Amino acid sequence: MPSPAVCLDRVSRRFGSVVAVRNASLDLVRGRIHGLIGENGAGKSTLLGLIGGMHPPDAGRVLIDGEPLVPATPAHASRRGVGFVHQHFMLVDAFTGIENVMLGAEPVDSLHRLDFAAARRQAEKAMNDLGARVDLDALVAELGVGERQTLEILRVLVRGASIILLDEPTAVLTPAQADRLFAAVRRMADAGACVVVVTHRLREVLDHCDDVTVMRRGKVVMTCTVAETNAPALTRAIMGAEPPPPVERPADPGMHGSALALSHVSVAGTGTARTALHDVSFVVPPGRIVGIAGIEGNGQTELVRAIAGLLPVDSGEILVHGQPVTRLGVGPRRLSGLIVVHADRHRDGLMLDASVFDNLVLGERGGRHQRALVQRRMNRFGIVPSDPALPARALSGGNQQKLVTARALDRPVRAVVLSQPTRGVDLGAARAIHGAICAAASAGAGVLVVSADLAELRALCHEVFVIARGRLVASYPPDTPEEVFGRAMLGGSVVAGGVG
Amino acid sequence: MTRTIGQRAAGLLPPWTAVAAAILVLNLLSWSFGQAPAATLSTAIAGSWGTMYGVGQVLFKATPLLFAGIAVDVALRAGMFNIGVEGQMAVGSVVAAVVATVVPVALPAPVAISIVLLTAAVAGAIWAAIPAVMRVLLGAHEVITTIMLNRIADALIAMLITSALALPGTVRTADMPANTLLPRLQVWIHGFVGSAASVAFPLAVVVLVTVHAWLKLTRSGRETVWVGLNADACAAEGVPVGWRRWMALTLSGAVAGLAASGTVMGYKGYYEMGLGAGAGFGGIAVAFLGRGHPVGLLLAALLFGTLAQAGLAINAQVPREAMGVLEAVVIIATALATAWSPAPASRTTGAPEAEP
Repeated sequence: MPSPAVCLDRVSRRFGSVVAVRNASLDLVRGRIHGLIGENGAGKSTLLGLIGGMHPPDAGRVLIDGEPLVPATPAHASRRGVGFVHQHFMLVDAFTGIENVMLGAEPVDSLHRLDFAAARRQAEKAMNDLGARVDLDALVAELGVGERQTLEILRVLVRGASIILLDEPTAVLTPAQADRLFAAVRRMADAGACVVVVTHRLREVLDHCDDVTVMRRGKVVMTCTVAETNAPALTRAIMGAEPPPPVERPADPGMHGSALALSHVSVAGTGTARTALHDVSFVVPPGRIVGIAGIEGNGQTELVRAIAGLLPVDSGEILVHGQPVTRLGVGPRRLSGLIVVHADRHRDGLMLDASVFDNLVLGERGGRHQRALVQRRMNRFGIVPSDPALPARALSGGNQQKLVTARALDRPVRAVVLSQPTRGVDLGAARAIHGAICAAASAGAGVLVVSADLAELRALCHEVFVIARGRLVASYPPDTPEEVFGRAMLGGSVVAGGVG
Repeated sequence: MTRTIGQRAAGLLPPWTAVAAAILVLNLLSWSFGQAPAATLSTAIAGSWGTMYGVGQVLFKATPLLFAGIAVDVALRAGMFNIGVEGQMAVGSVVAAVVATVVPVALPAPVAISIVLLTAAVAGAIWAAIPAVMRVLLGAHEVITTIMLNRIADALIAMLITSALALPGTVRTADMPANTLLPRLQVWIHGFVGSAASVAFPLAVVVLVTVHAWLKLTRSGRETVWVGLNADACAAEGVPVGWRRWMALTLSGAVAGLAASGTVMGYKGYYEMGLGAGAGFGGIAVAFLGRGHPVGLLLAALLFGTLAQAGLAINAQVPREAMGVLEAVVIIATALATAWSPAPASRTTGAPEAEP
């Protein structure tokens, strides 16, 4: 048995009155990929933060290559070879990709001038290892979520870290990109790196990891090799109970009527900042759940913002229940029965420093009975901790997503658009959100789900469109094989003028 | 979530640090001027809170600071930095002084005063509405535009006063008729005799309470605060972000305009060049020290009012400019203590997003 690269010796860490990690012990060896799984709030991110020097432990020791990590600071951890890839991007929006990769570890020439050529070579090499491309000269503000994630990983790779901590790296990647990432991760592990991957996807653990650690309520409840376990056992360990059954989508009501319709909608692009939408047309009938699949950055954000009323369209019409809303602002569109949940819950969904109460009534017109409304939304969607006075920041990602979903769906709606409804959300929360989406459809709302998670779309939707380069290129029934979707996503079956 | 006593104490650290630093620096200054520190301190206290007259003067000095502090705070809550309170106050003051001279003398005082106050508020609001419109419609940053409008207000008022409004040979406007003057507090509290504290102070407190009730209890007020917390999320949920910003900045200007009550209407009875100057910038410090809390704003305004009055009291021993130094020390100490005091857990940006 080789000596561990990272050894956690009975570490505990609390935040205020909450114990995030309780008496956790764990050995992580080099040359292997360690999966770290558990529900949101189980303490995975904190455990990673303890290794990365983000949080000093309250009790216990963190040993890196046998030596204690003291002082426990990110800079010190970095010097000891620990590289941290964050779940929430730590990038400078106003810098280009290459500047972000260089930041903090800038190569310089003999005159101490920044050596962009060297930085570019390092980044190119890392990109080849990763099998992903990013436009290094584009501003980060102009990049899609997936490309930002890739940049984050590049940043660690060029620093030559040998203990690599990845906090939900695949949450925003397509299955193919995730497979390529794991292929690169495997090469790093084969070269002697110790890799820790936090993920919500059991398939990734079973397919790509060597060891798996399950956390629940701050405790390490299970550690074993992947060969020794299977999906049902892991699920039981994660939830501490039998998992809720998968959601049954309501029966297909067929193409009767129109809850939400787009007719030849086009939006001009602005170079790299915004993907253009070309002649997008489709109809979402009442009671039907329609999906939009595609690789990140192919116009999904623009489509959702155009429907919401945040992005003016250049031509075409958007109709809610047959009434054109194209020239209306966000507020009037909501009054016509259209509700949109955006992909980035931190930017477009929540006021993190405001209370859960305020967040749950954001955008409500009526001022009365708010207390009852908030209580109902918290109960119906099982938002925990169930204290509406807490700031939204104190909730786990899953509960934050439940919050924005509750705000959107707990009301009479005719048309709902949800973008990445379960991104970075644990299984229990995802099932609850899927249940709410199906309930809304059963109640007669037309639902449009935009997601990078193809499995989610295939499980939930009655019909799935594929978007590529701002066009709808294909429409498939949900039981179509993944490879067919994959080809369409890459633009393989371009159908001029969209579909539907 | 109820805060523990420890957290409450931590929240009070900045103001106490500020006061302690002010006393320390005052001691150093008086010592360097060859004065016994204790004697200077006792003179400062005796000259401000030591007598009823001193208290009245503190209230008088705190009045425009409180108006300005509320004005800055309202804009700050909506996520905007109104540096233009100084100009909005000046515009409101000139308009108040001019309108007062044309209000019919026969009108009963409450009516005449209301008219003058209202026009002062409207004038300040209009002056703030200009950067508000530029921000909302064109995206021009209000810090730049309000600073520039301060200079425009300065120059415009100087031009108007010298060319048209001033009495010959002076830089002041004509006397306002008695029915437009705010009564002094000495009418009710005899001890205030001689001090310039007027009804403007309780008026400022009423404005403070009203504005904070609006922010806390009404939909438009709460949405204004929410826009300050995350404008993107508000826009996505259909909150009229531009309108709320416009409203907040305009209200900020209106409150700034009302500061005329303490200077023009409650003290001089006319406007002269430079009257009340500096209070607008003092309001930024008040809002900063008050930390968005109504009681905090009131105490901060009283603290700066005390420093201003104490400066006059110690002038014989230590130059009163010493108090200018103290004001700056208070602000710096607050900034340092705020950075050092443990923020409430909910505000800690480094805490993990997960962990409920």
